Amino acid sequence: MLGETNSGMQCAEFDALLAEAIDGSLTRQTREDFERHKAGCAACGKLFAEVTSGLAWIEQVEDIEPPRNLVHNILAATTGAAQQDAQRTVRVEVRASAWERLRRQLGTVFEPVLTPRFAMSMGMALFSLTLVLNMAQIRIMDLTPHNLSHTFYSNENKLVKHYENMRVVYEIESRVRDLRNSSRESEREQRDRLLEKNNNQTQNQNQVNEPDARRQREFSRGESPQLLASLNGSEQCFGTYRGNLAKLRREI
Amino acid sequence: MLTLFTAATGRQVEARVDEAQAVAQLVCRCACGDAAAWEEIVQRFHRRVYNICYRFAGSADDAQDLTQEVFIKVYRTIGSFDGEKASFNTWVTTVTRNLLVDHFRKTRNDRATDSIEAAQGADDDGPTLADRLASTTPSPLAHVESRERREMVHRALRQISTDLREAVILRDLQDMDYREIAEVLKVPEGTVKSRINRGRAELARLMQRTYKQVL
Repeated sequence: MLGETNSGMQCAEFDALLAEAIDGSLTRQTREDFERHKAGCAACGKLFAEVTSGLAWIEQVEDIEPPRNLVHNILAATTGAAQQDAQRTVRVEVRASAWERLRRQLGTVFEPVLTPRFAMSMGMALFSLTLVLNMAQIRIMDLTPHNLSHTFYSNENKLVKHYENMRVVYEIESRVRDLRNSSRESEREQRDRLLEKNNNQTQNQNQVNEPDARRQREFSRGESPQLLASLNGSEQCFGTYRGNLAKLRREI
Repeated sequence: MLTLFTAATGRQVEARVDEAQAVAQLVCRCACGDAAAWEEIVQRFHRRVYNICYRFAGSADDAQDLTQEVFIKVYRTIGSFDGEKASFNTWVTTVTRNLLVDHFRKTRNDRATDSIEAAQGADDDGPTLADRLASTTPSPLAHVESRERREMVHRALRQISTDLREAVILRDLQDMDYREIAEVLKVPEGTVKSRINRGRAELARLMQRTYKQVL
């Protein structure tokens, strides 16, 4: 079909003019060429017949009558809904009082919360709480601040006593006490060692050899460090005094 | 003869222009909130929209629902209608066509099971018993034949592809011109004409096959 030439018109051109030919809007010359091609080309002739037949079938189809209430339904779905919105808006504007204005302002803040689902959840939570309080035999009067603090402290005492009386707790506490004591002793030893070091250093400076004092110090663990520190201080003073005395003798 | 033809065509064109102006005024009033203007628009276009929906959907219930959806969408977006880009008629047809395409896509899977029910179902848009009893002019046989022929054409239309079907319906059943159809379908005019021809030819072949089967 494509490329077939007949009476100056090609099949592609025939195809393009087919709709206008059926509409009757071709010029006289074009119409003649069209008819000539149609008569000479079997394929185009068949196509023309099919197209006109299809059109004839369609033209037999009448318009469908829409349902009687269609317009009413459309108006109800469009302006009906719009009218309801407008009435609602008007009603709200007429009745707007201070309370309404406050509610509207708060409404925007609490909007996520003011939903049926949230109200349901709150209701269930309240119900569960009431049930628990009932089962625990807790009265509303028990929930005043005074009673609450009283209950709290009394329970705290009971709890403390209970745990203190438990064997496990007692054992743990005694262990902790022992550990604390031992750690204190080790701290004391470390301090003593430090003091000894200091003493040795001063002795070396003053060229005082007192091994006995060290031995004494080693034995005297129970003595307070302050006493020992004061003794060290006095030894230092004595050493300084002896040095000064030696200087004076040389000068004289 | 030519003068008479030209005069008749000129009158038709004038009538169309007058109607277009009247519709433009109604649209303007409607966009400003005039409920009476909206009612007038619905009265003028509901039949056309319903017929397009019926030819596509094939069911009166679906056609009614789709028609309502079309008008709801038109009502909501009438403020954005630009009269300079296209006529209101073209715009409404475009909205209808887009909704039908969406509906077609959604119901694609259901159509296989619905086809049996559609074939066996009662004709919803046919006359009621009271209408049939009251009617005097057409004979019952002629009426039944006409109804059956219409149903056959509708069934054949539903069998051809969507592209061809919408072109044929808009041209042959809705009397739209090629330029308007090209605007609605967003294809060139040449494509529109080609689709119309192929759709008509396909319909004729289907009807021939159906008649051969019946005979």
